[in-house]
Amino acid sequence: MDLENQKRVKEYAEELGAENVIVVIGAAEAEAAGLAAETVTAGDPTYAGPLTGVSLGLAVYHICEDIIKEAVDDNVYDEQISMMEMVLDVDEIKKEMETIRSQYSKY
Amino acid sequence: MSLFENRKVVVIGDRDGIPGPAIDECLKTAGANIVFSSTECFV
Amino acid sequence: MLETENDAQFKQSGAAVHHNRCTAFISPKQNIMKGIHIMNSVLKGSSYILVHAPDMLVHGGTTQITERIVNPESDYLKELPKHLRSYDDALKYLPNQVYIGNKTPADMTLAGETWYDKPLGDINRFGKFGEIMPQDEFYILMQINDVFDLVMLDKEFVTKTRPGFEKHPLVDEELLALVREGTDKADIENAINNENAEGIYHDGSLIGCVKKAHDIDTNLSAEIILENLISKASCSLSLMHLIKTTGIDKSEIDLVLDCSEEAVGDMNQRGGGNLAKAAAESAGFLNASGADIRAFCAAPVHAVIHAAALVASGTYNNVVVAAGGSIAKLGMNAKDHVKKELPPLEDVMGGFAALISKNDDVSPEILSEYTGKHDVGTGSSPQAVITALVTEPLDKMGLKIADIDKYSVEMQNPDITKPAGAGDVPQANYKMIAALGVKRGELERGDINAFTEKHGMPGWAPTQGHIPSGVPYLGFAREDIMSGKINRSMIVGKGSLFLGRMTNLFDGVSFILQKNSGSSKTENSESAEKTEAKTSVQPKIILTGTGSEHGEKNMIEGAALAAKRGIDVIYAGTKTCDGVKTVTAESDKDAHEIMEKMLGSNEADGAVTMHYLFPIGVSTVGRVVTPGKGKAMYIATTTGTSSTDRVEGMVKNALYGIITAKACGVKKPTVGILNVDGAQKTEMVLKELSKNGYDINFANSGRADGGSIMRGNDMLSGECDVLVTDPLTGNIIMKTMSSYTTGGSYESLGWGYGPGIGQGFNRLVLILSRASGAPVVANAIEFAAELVKGKYKDVAAKEFAAAEKAKLKSILENLRASNAPDAGSDAVKEPPKEIVTEEISGIEITDLDDAVTALWAEGIYAQSGMGCTGPVVMVNESKLTQAEKVLSAKGFIEG
Repeated sequence: MDLENQKRVKEYAEELGAENVIVVIGAAEAEAAGLAAETVTAGDPTYAGPLTGVSLGLAVYHICEDIIKEAVDDNVYDEQISMMEMVLDVDEIKKEMETIRSQYSKY
Repeated sequence: MSLFENRKVVVIGDRDGIPGPAIDECLKTAGANIVFSSTECFV
Repeated sequence: MLETENDAQFKQSGAAVHHNRCTAFISPKQNIMKGIHIMNSVLKGSSYILVHAPDMLVHGGTTQITERIVNPESDYLKELPKHLRSYDDALKYLPNQVYIGNKTPADMTLAGETWYDKPLGDINRFGKFGEIMPQDEFYILMQINDVFDLVMLDKEFVTKTRPGFEKHPLVDEELLALVREGTDKADIENAINNENAEGIYHDGSLIGCVKKAHDIDTNLSAEIILENLISKASCSLSLMHLIKTTGIDKSEIDLVLDCSEEAVGDMNQRGGGNLAKAAAESAGFLNASGADIRAFCAAPVHAVIHAAALVASGTYNNVVVAAGGSIAKLGMNAKDHVKKELPPLEDVMGGFAALISKNDDVSPEILSEYTGKHDVGTGSSPQAVITALVTEPLDKMGLKIADIDKYSVEMQNPDITKPAGAGDVPQANYKMIAALGVKRGELERGDINAFTEKHGMPGWAPTQGHIPSGVPYLGFAREDIMSGKINRSMIVGKGSLFLGRMTNLFDGVSFILQKNSGSSKTENSESAEKTEAKTSVQPKIILTGTGSEHGEKNMIEGAALAAKRGIDVIYAGTKTCDGVKTVTAESDKDAHEIMEKMLGSNEADGAVTMHYLFPIGVSTVGRVVTPGKGKAMYIATTTGTSSTDRVEGMVKNALYGIITAKACGVKKPTVGILNVDGAQKTEMVLKELSKNGYDINFANSGRADGGSIMRGNDMLSGECDVLVTDPLTGNIIMKTMSSYTTGGSYESLGWGYGPGIGQGFNRLVLILSRASGAPVVANAIEFAAELVKGKYKDVAAKEFAAAEKAKLKSILENLRASNAPDAGSDAVKEPPKEIVTEEISGIEITDLDDAVTALWAEGIYAQSGMGCTGPVVMVNESKLTQAEKVLSAKGFIEG
């Protein structure tokens, strides 16, 4: 994850409390989604950014996951996201997100 | 609704997946309180 | 350009439009409805260069710079140098060879889904579009591009590298004079240690440095000067290659637009510019100015749109869009590559240049009126973005998503991005376009993958930001459009503006590149344009698969090959052709009936088959690869009979050859006459025709004495575009040139015996030999598609009319009168027409007309034609026995 974005996530978690922050990502690939999710839960796996060795355990979801999709207005979701559901491998992404959350997410 | 209740949301979009602003549009309808939104670019 | 008096005159007189060169600037794209003329500019050519830069990757790539700051002792930094690729390995890398034009995107598809693990066997530094320059020579070029004495190179390094650099085909004395001798290593070390100079490395050793250009101003620091000098030098190298690939005189370039991602300036104007003019100076464009266009990765497409408009408006005649490479992005994903035991594939910097010029009637047009753009208010959802970039311009033109033959999106190489978890970027973009097609009801959801295969390509560009942005395909697009392989392509560029922290917006633009509409067309209405667009969707070509000496499998293979090239193939045979629409036939006769029916109902636009009974007056124009220089040549003709008179036949063959060549995009085909019996007389007639106003571009023999009569040598070297001969000789030439590499029984080369052409004959039927192999079958199908796209019917009608106007008829009548001793038979009345399916063979070609007349005299309707083995008379099934009796009695056939 971009270093500046890591910095912001860390600041918000410290300022608001990790239990009060939820991260929503839009990664194109399961692998990239997994990396982003791991970064905001277990810490930066690439050892490059401010979240290296910092295990925030944040709640993290991909925008295409059912729990998010169900919370969003259908028309808006259709307008903004639905086309990409045909492009992305949504099942792979869901699987990867669930794996990371079950391992590292604390909230 | 309960997912976002009393919580702040950080959005990390992907230029080649779903960009930040598109996620924002969606989450606003779910009553989310977005504090930061950004888009990553891998290329 | 406002409508001028002259233009108005041309519009009133269609004839004037045909003959006046000024009409080169009138194209159907001129939109008179809007009251203004837009004469599209054209893409004249492009160049592509790479610079192998392994040491620059280690020392100047931002991923590595960041790592040295954050984890100076990391394993990654220790491991990285062990994984670097050698220059030879970079040359052997397929995507790199595609970039410079030695290989094609199709070669990548054939090779599989990864390429780092499939090194090429042969090594080529230079390609038709440019080159891959080694790092050491590039440092010399960088020093040449440094006009402020900021680059210091080690003396020994210069001595060692200069000889190689001197051999560069584009390096002249003037440039060599700029190579400095070099300095002592101690001075370089001193500059680095005490004056904040930035080191330059080769093979892991320090060989020079770039000094800072100001003591305080960080915008002129050594790092930034290095970054900008690299961009300038690689841009100028692209410009040098562009001059070579396009053949344009340097002095004719009016403007250079640089679309790289570097900021050139000082503390008072950090992005002041003008890298374009600096590179133009370096490349010796004395009459050019320059300007920089910056829009992140979308900049190249923005720049082409600007250039096209500047030329279309008449402001400039020749504008070059160019960019050099970026050191910062070298090894951007190298951490992931090293972790996965791959070489850091981002070890080359890219550059490109494209020349946009006034309409030359030949090169692909850039449709300035139909560009796509992402607006501030468009929104950032992927569907809104693709709508703005892709479907909005298409809707304006009345086209569908599938009417663009090839989309060039961001062509990042997935070998690089996939191991980094960023997926296959071009593939994702193609899927987005297809998914939008599904949303719009233009495609079925199940068609998404097929669409991406047909309308997309694998990515071959290094992740240099602006370099992959749609433009890597310009070189191939120009070739594919001009060869008739495709009609139009859309080039899409996207940019991540949010990275600059000034906006959250994304950006993107697109333009369409389309086959040149030529000067000869006079239609101006928008509806005509729309009709044209609709008919130019992929032609449907039916292939009959029965009767091959190599079995039906061979034909199926050919059909599948053609389908893979994007042609809509229909297969008629007894077996099924996977992936191709198949109509099952029980027999050869059945297959032919299916073919006739589909041609009649327009379910097929053309047919490829192994035998066909053409009426007299029709013969086929084949196309071969001439062995000398690999040039294509049309053989007019190869089967059939244009006329029972030899010379008349050859004159008509010339016309048929010209029609076929022109329909396939050869604007002014050169015509040569093979030195066979009747050649001299044929030449005389053609010269007379030419004198009367039917413009024939006569070829010149390669032999010392010249002339338009072609000797055997000329045939091998392909001295003419159209070789005129009698069909029997033409047939022998076809067979020889198609099978000389295989020993004879298998025809592996060329496009087959070609379409039957003749006045009033409107079916597109192309002939193959029973010995034609799968590659020729595929080529013949492609040949048919070219003819449909090239509107062969219109071309034929136009050429016949022009020849008639030049008194073809009376010339031929005179010829016949002088030949025929007696016109003979009293007018025999033609009996009522019947369906003729039965052939009677064994009649001498010269007696054919008389045989038909003899049957007519007996009340039997008959037609003459050419069968597989020679001339035939065709009659109704019920009259066969009776007809045979008549012909036998009159001595036409043996009883």
